[in-house]
Amino acid sequence: MTQKEIHNKRLLKEANERALQLVTRRHFLKESAMGFGALAIGSLLGGCHFGSSNGVNSTLFDPAHPLAPKLPMFPGRAKSVIYLHMAGAPSQLELFDYKPALMKLDGQDCPQSLLEGKRFAFIRGVPKMLAPQANFKQRGQCGAWVSDHLPHFSTIVDEVSFLKSVTTDQFNHAPAQLLVHTGSPRLGRPSMGSWVTYGLGTENQNLPGFVVLTSGGKFPDAGKSVWGSGFLPSVYQGVQCRSEGDPVLFIKDPAGMDRDLRKASIDAINEVNKKEYEEYRDPEILSRISQYEMAYRMQISVPDVMNINDEPQYIHDMYGTQPNKACFANNILLARKLVEKGVRFVQLFDWGWDSHGSDANLAIDVGFINKCRQVDKSITALILDLKQRGLLEETLVVWGGEFGRTPMQENREGKQNPFKGRDHHTEAFTIWMAGGGIKKGASYGETDEIGYASIGGKVTPFDIQATILNQLGFNHEKFTYQFQGRPFRLTDVSGEVIREILA
Amino acid sequence: MKALFNIKKWWLLTLFAGLILLFILFTRQKKVDYSADVKPILNKKCITCHGGVRRKGGFSVLFRNEALAKTESGKFAIIPGDPDHSEMIRRITTKDPEDRMPYKHEPLSTAEINILKKWIKEGAPWGEHWAYVPVKQVEVPKLKGKLFGLLPASKPDWIRNNIDYFIYDKLQHENLQPSPEADKATLLRRVSLDLTGLPAPQKLADQFLHDQSSHAYETLVDSLLASPHYGERWASMWLDLARYADTKGYERDDSRSIWRYRDWLIHAFNDDKPYDQFITEQIAGDLLPNPTDAQYVATAFHRNTMTNDEGGTDNEEFRTAAVLDRVNTTWEAIMGTTFACVQCHSHPYDPFHHEEYYKFMAFFNDTRDEDTYADYPLLRHFSSDDNKKLKTVTDWVEKYGAPDESGKIRTFLKTWQPAINSLLADQFVNSELADTKWLIFRNHAVARLKNVDLNNKNFLIYRYIGFVKGSEWDIHLDRPDGPVWKKVRNIDTTSDWKIKSLELSPMSGVHDVYFTYYNPNLRKPTDDGIQFDWFYFTQAFPGSGKPGYEEAYKDFQTLLQKELPTTPIMMDNPADMHRKSYVFERGNWLVKGDSVEPDVPHSLNPLPAGAPRNRLGLAMWLVNKQNPLTSRTIVNRMWEQIFGTGLAETLEDLGTQGIAPTHQKLLDYLSWQFMNEDGWSIKKLLKEIVMSATYRQDSKVSAESLAKDPFNKLLSRGARVRLSAEQVRDQALAISGLLSEKMYGPSVMPYQPKGIWLSPWNGSDWKESKGEDGYRRALYTYWKRTAPYPAMITFDEAAREVCTARRIRTNTPLQALVTLNDENYIEAARNFAYKMENQAGQDPKEEIRRGYEMALHQPITNSKLEVIYRLYQQAYAKLKNDRDKICEMIGFMDEHNNPKTAAMVVVANAMLNLDEMITKN
Repeated sequence: MTQKEIHNKRLLKEANERALQLVTRRHFLKESAMGFGALAIGSLLGGCHFGSSNGVNSTLFDPAHPLAPKLPMFPGRAKSVIYLHMAGAPSQLELFDYKPALMKLDGQDCPQSLLEGKRFAFIRGVPKMLAPQANFKQRGQCGAWVSDHLPHFSTIVDEVSFLKSVTTDQFNHAPAQLLVHTGSPRLGRPSMGSWVTYGLGTENQNLPGFVVLTSGGKFPDAGKSVWGSGFLPSVYQGVQCRSEGDPVLFIKDPAGMDRDLRKASIDAINEVNKKEYEEYRDPEILSRISQYEMAYRMQISVPDVMNINDEPQYIHDMYGTQPNKACFANNILLARKLVEKGVRFVQLFDWGWDSHGSDANLAIDVGFINKCRQVDKSITALILDLKQRGLLEETLVVWGGEFGRTPMQENREGKQNPFKGRDHHTEAFTIWMAGGGIKKGASYGETDEIGYASIGGKVTPFDIQATILNQLGFNHEKFTYQFQGRPFRLTDVSGEVIREILA
Repeated sequence: MKALFNIKKWWLLTLFAGLILLFILFTRQKKVDYSADVKPILNKKCITCHGGVRRKGGFSVLFRNEALAKTESGKFAIIPGDPDHSEMIRRITTKDPEDRMPYKHEPLSTAEINILKKWIKEGAPWGEHWAYVPVKQVEVPKLKGKLFGLLPASKPDWIRNNIDYFIYDKLQHENLQPSPEADKATLLRRVSLDLTGLPAPQKLADQFLHDQSSHAYETLVDSLLASPHYGERWASMWLDLARYADTKGYERDDSRSIWRYRDWLIHAFNDDKPYDQFITEQIAGDLLPNPTDAQYVATAFHRNTMTNDEGGTDNEEFRTAAVLDRVNTTWEAIMGTTFACVQCHSHPYDPFHHEEYYKFMAFFNDTRDEDTYADYPLLRHFSSDDNKKLKTVTDWVEKYGAPDESGKIRTFLKTWQPAINSLLADQFVNSELADTKWLIFRNHAVARLKNVDLNNKNFLIYRYIGFVKGSEWDIHLDRPDGPVWKKVRNIDTTSDWKIKSLELSPMSGVHDVYFTYYNPNLRKPTDDGIQFDWFYFTQAFPGSGKPGYEEAYKDFQTLLQKELPTTPIMMDNPADMHRKSYVFERGNWLVKGDSVEPDVPHSLNPLPAGAPRNRLGLAMWLVNKQNPLTSRTIVNRMWEQIFGTGLAETLEDLGTQGIAPTHQKLLDYLSWQFMNEDGWSIKKLLKEIVMSATYRQDSKVSAESLAKDPFNKLLSRGARVRLSAEQVRDQALAISGLLSEKMYGPSVMPYQPKGIWLSPWNGSDWKESKGEDGYRRALYTYWKRTAPYPAMITFDEAAREVCTARRIRTNTPLQALVTLNDENYIEAARNFAYKMENQAGQDPKEEIRRGYEMALHQPITNSKLEVIYRLYQQAYAKLKNDRDKICEMIGFMDEHNNPKTAAMVVVANAMLNLDEMITKN
């Protein structure tokens, strides 16, 4: 037999098997209504390889079961990722990068050497230096410097690794966010979460594999493109779970339709579809039948997982949740619930960190402190909660922004801003990671005396992406997708795993 | 005896002839085919280290001259005709692991080695990839006759036109039979969805189903091709290629009014504008002699690139990004070729050199657009009244102005071009680009416009906002304190942009123009005095002092000032604003290499004789019959649109890395016919396709065809494909009777859930369209790049950030949730239910039967009817005593508010979700 014949024979066999499964699963809805999760649809169908003629040049994409669980390239330390993105870019100089020397320079003109040949988003002419607007102490066993803005987080520094010398080449929000999440400052590439779900599928077939949660009243500047699937099939785009309206778009049955009626109607749809299959024998019909089954189950499991009211009071206290509000603390508790249920990639965006000083909310000495308060408790709770559930070792938590902030005070269009603020800064900022096989209580990278530039241990968003993929069991240089005639990867042509922070 | 001898002789002769034949068959060895046999080995095993970017050991197999050249070691890797002395053969066969190629990889198989040896022995001929060779006329395959071809072939009844010969030939080869024709109802729905994107209107459907004549189907096809909905369906396809959106993209992602381009497409398809003209107008409509407004609007094709309005961004960076996108899109959309790789390095697989990318880019690099906030250049849309005024003005200028002046004034009034955008200013003192968009002056300000051609200029028109009274603005030449050309005083304060005109003393030469600014009323050094959008140095309006001058000048000013709707268009720089083009080293726009002039890659057809080296010449090259890619790309695309898969599956890449076509000869046959016989007519091409027996086949999958042809690449059955995102919506609206037939106009905002748009720094809002605008066809839906319409993106609509040559179809639970639960589909279900009641009275079974027929044109089988009727009974039982649920299901207190109708809504919702509804059978 030729390769082709063997292949065709296998396809035929699988088609027959699936037709058989269909018959035995006739009353699936009854079963699933009785015992959720009892029907492991993933394992039942995960092995099928019905390619349609989409012809994506990849073995990883199976249009009939695009989300079936898949093994990584090598055993990874992490099973899932929670990426906490502080959209707008928090100031490293008020949180982690302690610069006493900058204190002394407060109010002095910025030296020309720091300005020559540089471009800033808003700073024009010669700005003044701005002292750190926070008190710092060394914390934990590891002695990491953390400011008073994060009293809770200060107690768990021994769980995290700091990257203090992250650099980027994009000084505007949207392109910088895109670079962090898609490996390119321009629109059109798949986001990290899409890559991960493409590579790993999802463990829980009743939930999306890649969930996005936003807070702060706005989306990140780059919009939905930061969780888009780019050129990957759209099934891999992040599914935005919302705290207002339907938790997932269109998840709620229409008014007047209760669960029983929905079950009856999906039963009817699938039964007609089965008759259609008997007539046409197109495997795509079988796939549609299972998608409708899955949709039905998602309708229960998504609102269920999105409902935090059933969590015990001590958990609410720990996270500092606010009932029935769209807030970061609620989202972060949701993130824990989602990874617990097998979601691969949970992406949080919290908007409001763009501390230019143009108004009180965006002031480094006012609004910024409030933002810190809003996230401090819940982030700490997340780490501790994951730990007490034994999930921290397999969950990689990443915290950071799209760039850092200048040691200079912003003088927008040459004018002094009404409040204290800092401009966008690309040359050095801090990101931390925890869990998922990352070193505990470590720090890598250093900046100069005023926190302007890296003086060692410089890493880029590509390196961070490579590290995240590595922890999940992927070699970022080999994890590719064929598009427009060439293999693309998340890290494009760059990226090195940051081995210094691996446990 | 004689007879016997004769028979014997015959026998001998036959035997002899047979032996000779056998001898010929066995000894005549096939020559090695470079493209089919050699190139795949080179691509797979050699080219990563020896081609394009990397040429280890000084050896590259990308081009023949490189492969035959002396390598670094001084040896020749390939000596044509002499495999034994060719270093390549020695290195792939040696036993020494340090020496053996591919280095540290699996050795080549014996078969592969033999192919390479034989190929070198045969002179190492270099083949050309099929898609880079001009399209030639192809003969329709002859059917194989019976008895080893001794008997003449009889034409099988199945065959209807020439397409079928190609398909049949291949099927025969694979021992497969084509499928019979689908039933009339299936065919009706299929061809209507394919040609118009909508189910057939009831009247047309009835006509066809009752037409027993032999040309019934052709009549149907002709009606569908003539339907105005035809243009909407195909414009919809082109919008992905044009990366059309109603916003500018990037962070601000503000609105952009470019829908007239979408309407231009609808007209172009409906008028069956020949494809060569269709392309020419989109690439270079502005460069045609006396372009019409429509031809200008066509060039918006390449103004669908994104514009970055975020403060602090470098406008030149994003202008460059847009130009690169135009290059990549031109190649991908029109020539099915991935050219983007060449941006950074010579193509490792296809015959394109790095610098050729930039020569090609030079065609697009000299355009007026500069990433301005307003998206200049814009075409200003005049009313018929305005056009009358324009005529008066141009007639006047014709009479009193310089010979070429009226054309210039006409262009200027229609486009405000070629003005100098204020964002080109530099050398700021107490001035800057506000939000990196507009030149702004504070007290004691200085700024410069560099190298302005002032020959014969004595007039300045500028667009500005005056913030504070008392502005004193001086125009100096060559230095901030250089000679004062003009002192401008009494500048009005304005609440919005305003256009002013200034007389100047006549000037000559090219100068740096310096502006200085002072205003005694500005208190603080940070207060803004005046802001500029653009400056236009020109000649004074001619004919001053002549009778009628005042009126003509007034008309000129009225047209100039008028607030008008606009569309972004392409326009080239005039000679004095010419922008040079350079190679970007390794693709980095900041590292400029050699300067380049516009040209096309040497490996394809040359620019046609007489073609200018601008976009018009480029368009002439694209649609030249010698261009190997243009016709193949569109034919392949149309095939994909109809069958779900292209003849070459990778629409985006016909190059050597793409998937080879299944029926290359058919592709070439159709491409040749398209250009040479059908005058680039898309409608003729489509008709040829849908009239074929291949197209009309039943789409049922037999065990045999699933086994031998699981992906239906050989087309042994009809295509069965899920509807596109647009079709899913349009069909639901059409079936339920909600669909608005209104065509054209600004994009609309049908219902979408709250909270989809939450863009920072952008006050725009989804304002749900009222009335019929809420029920327009999908292609009129407002498309915001960073927050696209969720229901459609779920069904694999392209995000339109960049050109998308092919949508990858998926099948996901989220799609089910859309059609089950989205309010749009619930509303459709309600109206579908009312329609069923309306048409079939009060018997639910009859209603279902009728509804099914309305939707799918065919009777429902009893077993399906029973299933759906059971659902009705369940729903009715549940709802009959539940007033609240009934109210919720119906939504209004009207005549439909009763348990029976509510149960029918549940049924209608289920029917709209059936696989046969979502799929094209």
